[in-house]
Amino acid sequence: MVSTNVQNRIRRLRFDHGEMTQQTLAERVGVTRQTINAIELGKYSPSLEVAFKIAGVFGVPIEDVFSYGEAPAAAD
Amino acid sequence: MSFREKSAWITLITLSVLTAAVVTHLPRPFTLAPAPSLFILHVLALAILFFIGIEIVAHVVIAIWSPRDARVPKDERERLIELKATAVASYVYAGLSLSSILTIHLGANEIGLGYLVFLSFVIGEIVNYALRIYYYRRGV
Repeated sequence: MVSTNVQNRIRRLRFDHGEMTQQTLAERVGVTRQTINAIELGKYSPSLEVAFKIAGVFGVPIEDVFSYGEAPAAAD
Repeated sequence: MSFREKSAWITLITLSVLTAAVVTHLPRPFTLAPAPSLFILHVLALAILFFIGIEIVAHVVIAIWSPRDARVPKDERERLIELKATAVASYVYAGLSLSSILTIHLGANEIGLGYLVFLSFVIGEIVNYALRIYYYRRGV
């Protein structure tokens, strides 16, 4: 599998926001559910715009969602 | 599986099967006489009509199956996948179509040469859709 060095905490953040579904997040960000799934699995690195939108949906800074090379520190 | 991945599977399978059927039933381009050359044109026209028909029917079916997926516009990942796959496929098409010119030295006539250039385009498209599926499944 092609994987990126961009780590993310989307799965955890979805859980913390009432087990938000990938479909709901995708609709709010404006991408397909498969793209959210690919980002979560590290198969796709999103553009800055999409990354900011994802962080915006969860109401956290972008660095709480994404990090490069290592998993981001827990926000809570 | 997204609507566009299903669409890529449909196009890949349809193109592969039709191409295999056409290539195995047509004489080799460099052995063509004028009469079989016209036969080639008829077979290719028929194959194109079959392709269009199958594509329309299959896409209508998958759109009815999951209408919400079908209405979602392409996002950045899907555009990137198309871009990368098309970039590689264009080199395949260019290489094969330029190589087709060499068949003139093997006795191909102009219709045979046209057939090979057309076949190069089809193979390029098969590579294009195979790569899209690869990127959809393995990541881009």
